[in-house]
Amino acid sequence: MTASPQSITADYEFAQPPHKVWRALTDSSLMATWLMPNDFRPVVGHRFTFRAQPMPHWDGIVNCEVLEVDEPRRLRYSWRGGAGEFALDTTVTWTLTPSVSGGTRLHLDHAGFLPTNAFALQGMEKGWRGHIAERLAQAVAEV
Amino acid sequence: MPAVGEVLKALSDPTRRAVFERLTRGEAAVKELTARFSVSQPAISQHLAALRRAGLVAERRAGRNAYYRVKGTGLRPLVSWIEHYQGFWLERLDRLQKLLEEMDS
Repeated sequence: MTASPQSITADYEFAQPPHKVWRALTDSSLMATWLMPNDFRPVVGHRFTFRAQPMPHWDGIVNCEVLEVDEPRRLRYSWRGGAGEFALDTTVTWTLTPSVSGGTRLHLDHAGFLPTNAFALQGMEKGWRGHIAERLAQAVAEV
Repeated sequence: MPAVGEVLKALSDPTRRAVFERLTRGEAAVKELTARFSVSQPAISQHLAALRRAGLVAERRAGRNAYYRVKGTGLRPLVSWIEHYQGFWLERLDRLQKLLEEMDS
């Protein structure tokens, strides 16, 4: 799993075939057991919500719209959560690829924390954390 | 520490973001930023004030000139917010794995 100011990505390998993983990703009641209670339907344009326990800084509601349904390869929905200054306007994309062993490689891309290309920061290729660590070290050295 | 919302808000303006990006490459005088971004000095000063309120930049005065630089800790709220979400997905994907195993039986 990696994170940058633009997105969080994760790669998982499951022993189950794509059609089964697809079901877990798109069946509303199955989604409720591993993700959050929801009123999802695999129809492009369908607006739905995920509802979780409210937390500090978050009312527990994620407002979504289905953007892409390409069974059993790709699923994409918008992910808008938080209120006011904590508002988050992001996109979640699931990509499924059959693996040689008959299982599924699942790729998650949760993107849009900051507008794309917003950060052409120097040293970015070293990784976000490395960059921050560098800045912190500099800041400490300057004190 | 400013909230993540303030950091995101400060960086949501394209000019402000460009100014911030420029400052990540080193300290700059207000004069220099004004010339570079072809906006008025009051406009640049407003952008810099917003970045400063969000904890993203720091000011240094030398005589009649003001210089700005990126604050090392400025992006921390954003990084911890993203880390929070990372933890959320790790936990949910573990649950997905368990569910898939149960679907087998």
